[in-house]
Amino acid sequence: MEIKIAVSGINAVDNPGPGIGVAKSLLEAEDFSAEIVGLAYDAMEPGIYMDWIVKKSFIMPYPSGGHDAFINRLLYIKENYGMDFFMPVLDAELPVVIKYSHELEKNGIKTFLPTYEQFKLRSKDRLEEIANNIGIEIPKSEVVTSYEELIKAIEKIGLPVMVKGAFYKAYRAFTTQEAVSYYNKIVAQWGYPIIVQQVVSGEEMNVVAAGDGEGSSLGMVGIKKVWITELGKIWTGITIKNEKMLSASQKFIEKYSWKGAFELECIVDTKESRVYLIEINPRFPAWSYFSTGVGVNIAANIIRKSFGMPVKNYTDYPAGKLYVRFTDDLVTDMERFQKIITRGES
Amino acid sequence: MDRIKQLAINDEGFVFDPLTGDSFTVNQTGLFILKKLKEGKTEEEILQEITGEFEVSQEEAERDLIDFIEKLRSYRLI
Repeated sequence: MEIKIAVSGINAVDNPGPGIGVAKSLLEAEDFSAEIVGLAYDAMEPGIYMDWIVKKSFIMPYPSGGHDAFINRLLYIKENYGMDFFMPVLDAELPVVIKYSHELEKNGIKTFLPTYEQFKLRSKDRLEEIANNIGIEIPKSEVVTSYEELIKAIEKIGLPVMVKGAFYKAYRAFTTQEAVSYYNKIVAQWGYPIIVQQVVSGEEMNVVAAGDGEGSSLGMVGIKKVWITELGKIWTGITIKNEKMLSASQKFIEKYSWKGAFELECIVDTKESRVYLIEINPRFPAWSYFSTGVGVNIAANIIRKSFGMPVKNYTDYPAGKLYVRFTDDLVTDMERFQKIITRGES
Repeated sequence: MDRIKQLAINDEGFVFDPLTGDSFTVNQTGLFILKKLKEGKTEEEILQEITGEFEVSQEEAERDLIDFIEKLRSYRLI
């Protein structure tokens, strides 16, 4: 079975989007043949030029342009080149694709995403409720929307604190002055609400997984970040089996009937055996190829489920497998660049 | 003792803990003790085997064993 799959996030740069990892996983599926259509927001996204993975690319308008710009562009690609499935992997794309998924489906473009209600669960002010429901902890936190509330929250939690935006940015503040300055910085850039959070000790461990929307898992792998870049992005990692974290992920899929890929970010205090939930991202992480590399091809399972093929039952994976990122380069003709600049497609 | 049983240990003394992702290196004596602990042997049995295997006094072996086990305890492996 040949399937044309559009994948975004093909910006394989030092702060990589998840697209190339997802595309590589899809190409490795043995029971269907994927052709990757790259969706880029800039003519310099490296994925456009990685023709051994991405067959053809299109420049997309920003999703904030809403239905007319974004959805119509997808329909144009469907009509003129073909697209059987769209796998959005960037946070900003999800609300608009979720909202218009029925329209896309009617036009022959399948997606496999959480509902809008599920998507809203990722908001940091809902995390406490989720952590309670899936049997793990959350650092003490307060949602604040004013200077007075911020000061009260710091007094209640005690310094140092993490000052975080609802979706982006997090800073560690050691003094009240620092906290106020980070608060102002995040409000100016991302708006309210702001979350003030207790600093917890432990190691950063993550899970990549997907739910089938009916309470079952389409695959799950736990990892520990061993080496990260200055931007906090994983560069070396190792597979681990922290039962508490994995069973929390399983419960998350079951209790919320989660549909689609997600990443669970935790801080694990192995000495006290406590798992703190830090964030849930409703999409693949940039390192998702790691799971494929240890035999759990979650992206391929999403395609299988979407197209009614038999889903693979990934029950286990080996612990102690190493993930190593590296930089690479290529030389190519101007042609692809010219085409993408002038026509908006390679 | 379960944590010990889950450890992946190779013959060169590289030890990986799948629960935490931590890795350690141990010397030949440490490796010997870890393997015996994995087999479920008691400290006394291990002590006897150490003195049988290595040229070492009972007293020295006991001190090293206690020392090593304390270290494992500090990493919560026991």
